[in-house]
Amino acid sequence: MKTAADLRFGERGIIHSIDQLHPSARRIIEYGFTPGQVIILAHQTLFSDPLAFIIRGTTIAIRRSEAKSILVE
Amino acid sequence: MNKNIIEKAPLISLVGPPNSGKTSLFNHLSGKNLKTVNYPGSTVFFSSSEVNVHGELINLLDSPGIISLIPDSPDEQVAIDALYAHPMFGKPDLLVVTIDANQLSRHLFLVRQLTIAGFDVIAAITMNDILERNGYTIDTHSLELELGCTVCKIDGRTGKGLDILRNKLKDKLDTASANNDYKRNNGSGDTDELISIYREIGNIEERVLLKLSEVNRNVRTANEALNILNIGSSGSETRTIDKLTLRIDRIILHPQWGLLIFFITMAVLFTSIFWLALPLMDLIDEIFSELAIISTGIFQHSWLGDLISDGIINGVGSVLVFLPQIIILFLLLGFLEDVGYLARGAMLVDKPLSKIGLNGKSFVPMLSGFACAIPAIMAARTIPNRRERLLTIFILPLMSCSARLPVFALLIAFLIPAGNAWIGGLILASIYMFSILSSSAVAGIISKFSNQFVGVMDSSSFILELPTYKVPKIKIIIKSTLQSSYSYISKAGPVILTFSVVLWFLTYFPNTDPRIDEDGLTVQQIQEIKSAERVATSYASELGKILQPVMEPIGLDWRVGVSLISAFAAREVFVSSLALIFKVTAGDDDAMQESLISAMRNAKIENTDRNVFTTSSVIGLIIFFVFALQCLSTVAVSKQETGSWRIPAVQLILFSILAYSLSFVTVNLLRVIGIA
Repeated sequence: MKTAADLRFGERGIIHSIDQLHPSARRIIEYGFTPGQVIILAHQTLFSDPLAFIIRGTTIAIRRSEAKSILVE
Repeated sequence: MNKNIIEKAPLISLVGPPNSGKTSLFNHLSGKNLKTVNYPGSTVFFSSSEVNVHGELINLLDSPGIISLIPDSPDEQVAIDALYAHPMFGKPDLLVVTIDANQLSRHLFLVRQLTIAGFDVIAAITMNDILERNGYTIDTHSLELELGCTVCKIDGRTGKGLDILRNKLKDKLDTASANNDYKRNNGSGDTDELISIYREIGNIEERVLLKLSEVNRNVRTANEALNILNIGSSGSETRTIDKLTLRIDRIILHPQWGLLIFFITMAVLFTSIFWLALPLMDLIDEIFSELAIISTGIFQHSWLGDLISDGIINGVGSVLVFLPQIIILFLLLGFLEDVGYLARGAMLVDKPLSKIGLNGKSFVPMLSGFACAIPAIMAARTIPNRRERLLTIFILPLMSCSARLPVFALLIAFLIPAGNAWIGGLILASIYMFSILSSSAVAGIISKFSNQFVGVMDSSSFILELPTYKVPKIKIIIKSTLQSSYSYISKAGPVILTFSVVLWFLTYFPNTDPRIDEDGLTVQQIQEIKSAERVATSYASELGKILQPVMEPIGLDWRVGVSLISAFAAREVFVSSLALIFKVTAGDDDAMQESLISAMRNAKIENTDRNVFTTSSVIGLIIFFVFALQCLSTVAVSKQETGSWRIPAVQLILFSILAYSLSFVTVNLLRVIGIA
């Protein structure tokens, strides 16, 4: 399955699940990345890391390694 | 239950996620007796104020921003512990939680956790105007029913709605039973539980978030309340964020333009603390040397007079001299933070910094470190992750600060033949490059062993909200800058002053009034020769002589050792101290540098005919200054900002060893290849 890190810029995805084994999994969920939630990969910076997602009315930047723990449909 | 706390004025704690308008609400509500205290044994700050709410005096406590009741770092642990019972303020009678109307579900998450834990909560919804501009509004009445807590709308910019909030505060406090016996329930932290809270919140949001157009239509219908409840936004669909923010971010976060804007912003920031602060620092210097002269005029050149002028007045001066840089840096940082740029800047440079165990937010402190480590260490407060903050503070003394410049200028002038200024420039540039590379290397190595060095284990992560761009609130920025400056003066000030007086004592005693041949000398010459004589026979020079065997392997002698000790007051003191101990006296700076250099060329290691200052030993000395933590103020501020002596002690020892051994290796390698 695709992860949030695989989204193209401007692409929408619906979160399927969060990899519970990732050390930041709880934090990622607390920030609002929950199953069923729509996210949009919003901005492309020089290193393409961290990645900025539009979610729940705001923009949140997370590292690429953390985005890989978010599975999207 | 603690009786003392009950009998005091009721306590209301302000809680809220970052960027929810909490600080601005605190500033609206706060009144007399504003104070900032840090949580015992930590560096987490709380602001408190006595507030008059419709005739009743209450204590208002502003706590650090949190996004969840489950702590993820030692600092969050402190913030959350304080919600249950602050060691100085006790249990809160009521919580006011600020939530941004535009990210209702994310911020209601915290409210829900708090009500589950049994807290008495008033939810204050902020930034309603932005939500309404985007065509939505929140039905506070049904939100109250859904959450089972009081809800009201406020405007942090204009203060609209604050009277309603005050009324509700008063009502709540009057009706609240004395036993606010909430259970300590943070939840299990189980991710399924968190997801189910979010699901519940999502449903609530659907019911209370109304499209403005439909509300207006419904106002006309008779049975409006019932109808409103049935209208909602479409579930988990992400509503568009602020359009202007999105448009600005296309440029600010652009792969090329974004980086260019970042470097221009940082260049402006750096030049400001480097050049803008300079005249102010000179002014403070001048005022205090004037004061010292006046004091000498009153007390004469007795040991007491010199203690007052050289020890105390100079010491106070060396505390205050950092203030212009601290104030300028914090004003600019506050501005960038409040506008919303700081988070973006951190995102742009996070990648390379994460490679050496740091964070995008380490960039500004590191850059400031090239001006001065004191404001830089304080600026590290903006790094939320404790491990990354401590690591940043740890390596900051390695940044080549401006106080090293006079030292490098002297040593480079010694190395290169006159008239070849460009070689000097090249050497200076390489010193800066070297300082960047070495601090990166040290950070990289230490982050691998951070557990032992910094004593904290935090998982490294970068999850950062990029807030909506806003017009900065200048008043709040000035207020927090003044608070930071005050905490520097009150916390680090006494330590720096004590160090300065001790250092003065070491370089002044025991031979306080040396006998010299005064024939044919002016009063000033007598004073200069006397001070030179005094230092040469002082405790510091005794200490220096003990250092002789240590100085020899790096090609130097005890007199340089004494200057190195004096340089702990501030690195640039090395130059004047060297002049003092080599008995160089000349009027202005240029002439002094020239005669100091010629004195250095002629200086022999005592009882030998070997030169003290050779190409190899001077290069070794430069290396020494790149690494050594020759600055007591840095030690004091590092203690202030890390909360204990542990980190400054490790810094001092480690960087001294590093400086000495690398200097030793350099000098001896150079000698092996034939460079004396």
